[in-house]
Amino acid sequence: MLRISNLHKSFGDIRAVDGLSLEINRGEVFGLLGPNGAGKTTTVNIAVGLLTPDSGNVEIAGYGSPADRSVRRIIGVAPQALSLYDELTAEENVAFFGRIAGMPGVRLREQVKSTLEFVDLYDRRKEAVSTYSGGMKRRLNLAVAMVHDPELLFLDEPTVGVDPQSRNAIFEKVLALRERGRTIVYTTHYMEEAQRLCDRVGIIDHGRLLALDTVEGLLKTYGGQRVLVAERLQGEVRVPTDDPLRELNRLQAESQLLSFRLETPDLESVFLKLTGRLLRD
Amino acid sequence: MREVIAIAVKDLRLMLRDKAGFFFIFFFPLLIAIFFGTLFVNEGSTANRLKVFVIDEDQTSASQAFVDRLKAAPELEVHPASRQEAVDRVRRGGGTAYIAVLAGFAEGNIFGDNPPAVELGVDPTRRAEEGLLEGVLMKYASERLSELFTDPAKATASLEQWRQEVLKQPELSAAERQKVAGFLEDLSNVISRMPPAEDDGQPQGRFEPLRIEKADVQVHWEGPPSSYAVTFPQGVMWGILGCAAAFGISLVIERTRGTLVRLRMAPLGRGHILAGKALACFITMVTLSVTLLVFARLVFGVRPGSLSKLAFALGAVAVCFVGIMMLLSVLGRTEQAAGGIGWAVVVVMAMLGGGMLPLFFMPKWLQAISHFSPVKWGILAMEGAMWRGFSYTEMLLPCAILLAIGTVCFAVGERAFKWLE
Repeated sequence: MLRISNLHKSFGDIRAVDGLSLEINRGEVFGLLGPNGAGKTTTVNIAVGLLTPDSGNVEIAGYGSPADRSVRRIIGVAPQALSLYDELTAEENVAFFGRIAGMPGVRLREQVKSTLEFVDLYDRRKEAVSTYSGGMKRRLNLAVAMVHDPELLFLDEPTVGVDPQSRNAIFEKVLALRERGRTIVYTTHYMEEAQRLCDRVGIIDHGRLLALDTVEGLLKTYGGQRVLVAERLQGEVRVPTDDPLRELNRLQAESQLLSFRLETPDLESVFLKLTGRLLRD
Repeated sequence: MREVIAIAVKDLRLMLRDKAGFFFIFFFPLLIAIFFGTLFVNEGSTANRLKVFVIDEDQTSASQAFVDRLKAAPELEVHPASRQEAVDRVRRGGGTAYIAVLAGFAEGNIFGDNPPAVELGVDPTRRAEEGLLEGVLMKYASERLSELFTDPAKATASLEQWRQEVLKQPELSAAERQKVAGFLEDLSNVISRMPPAEDDGQPQGRFEPLRIEKADVQVHWEGPPSSYAVTFPQGVMWGILGCAAAFGISLVIERTRGTLVRLRMAPLGRGHILAGKALACFITMVTLSVTLLVFARLVFGVRPGSLSKLAFALGAVAVCFVGIMMLLSVLGRTEQAAGGIGWAVVVVMAMLGGGMLPLFFMPKWLQAISHFSPVKWGILAMEGAMWRGFSYTEMLLPCAILLAIGTVCFAVGERAFKWLE
């Protein structure tokens, strides 16, 4: 669906994207995971035609470059910063962005209704956005991105600054969109979001793609072994193992266990392994 | 075009939701126009007349006739008053002068030592008008005298009165008295045989110390029909300046709130975005102008000289200031900067263009600079269509200048917007 080839982009001396290449398949949720400043938003901005790369190219399969305006009709973008007209109502915001995406009248009305229903804002569609909570604005930001029913949807850090309840609501919407067959590029610096939502994840740092695979594949390749942590009278013991049950029996045979837990590798540990830093650093 | 209209409608909605902005764009210019129109109401007919207070201390039919003559004089705005009141008003700057028709005015002898007399008291700060007033008084005194000699009945009565006075003069010898009295009697006889002059409202030719040949000059400018015909075009201009300043910051607001990014990610060209904003600004300017002028027509009876010329003028003014708005919109990167720059530019244009102070009050060099202000050409174009009676050819210069300014500003703004991306 989306092919990015050897992309380079610098802002002065800062190299924001450095030879990034990746392919995103139709119908998948692709996670672009990396810390703040890793180059995720720059990559998205180039991929949607907002920025021109210094070199490299972006192609949307069957359509062409997103720099072409007609190609942008099949793209939806929910920018990281909320991009809404506070003085307008939710309905007016969604309708406006649908109209400038070229949707005709009757279809636009139907789409505005279904989109607002999808993000659970239909009942409050007549209220000015300025009266909305942060979570509602995030959902509306998503609605505006998808009102024209795009095939490819970019969600740039869509859960920044929202409460856990709203975050879960957004997760549900993303999964529902995947069910509808939409291709989603999801940038985040929260590894649990990538782990929960994404079919495949690209880990990016300093503008370079460090690894790309399914979550399971990344964990297998870079996550290392699971760790059995046991607490005994003599103190805590950490045992890396592929067979935690056998190790647990062995430890119990040696001495009485007060408690134990199993630490499984996650994308945080993958990132640590790849960069020597934590994601939140 | 659909996209352009969508952006324009969205911007109009945003403008309507901003109550303070809406007030300053629509109601403030209306209030300004009404306020100043009301201040100067009826001043149009008296603005160039000398305000004088007149005291009739003679209280005769002759003095009353002279006062009536002054009241009818187009050069004067006459207010009857008592001497005390007149002196006080002039002292306090309430008028140019007072004219007291002194006792004995009717018996005044134009050939003797005791001519008809008036007392003229002029405000010391308005000495320049003193000579003008003296000339006006002499003019009407001469007219009175002329009438005296062209009306046989009045003339013979006066000659008889003067003959009797000459016969009583002790400093003349008897022979001299008889000679003068005889001359006056002969003159009286001649005049009494003349037919009475037809009253055509003009001084009669038989007593005419100076003939002034008058040449008709075709009147091009008949002046505004009322003060509102002057203040409403200015109100329209202030509203348009407000629009330019308000819409000028809308691009910056789009940028700071992030919606510009979303617009640029949409399947739109830069031209669509700018054209949408320009269309919203144009619609607001035209709506504002039409609203104010319809209000002026319905409430104050201000009737435009030519609707088609007015539409031409308003179109040119709107195009000009839409272009200026586009240029203003790219001058600042923050709302505060763009707003400050916008209002600074607008106020300077208004000051130089006669939007605040009439151009004729300005020094010559400043009047020359005013040619560079689109406000001057905007007001001239509107007034040309409203009451100056401009022909289409005369409308062409201000309108062409406005269209040129608008086009250049729009092009520069569009170019600068490209660089800012």
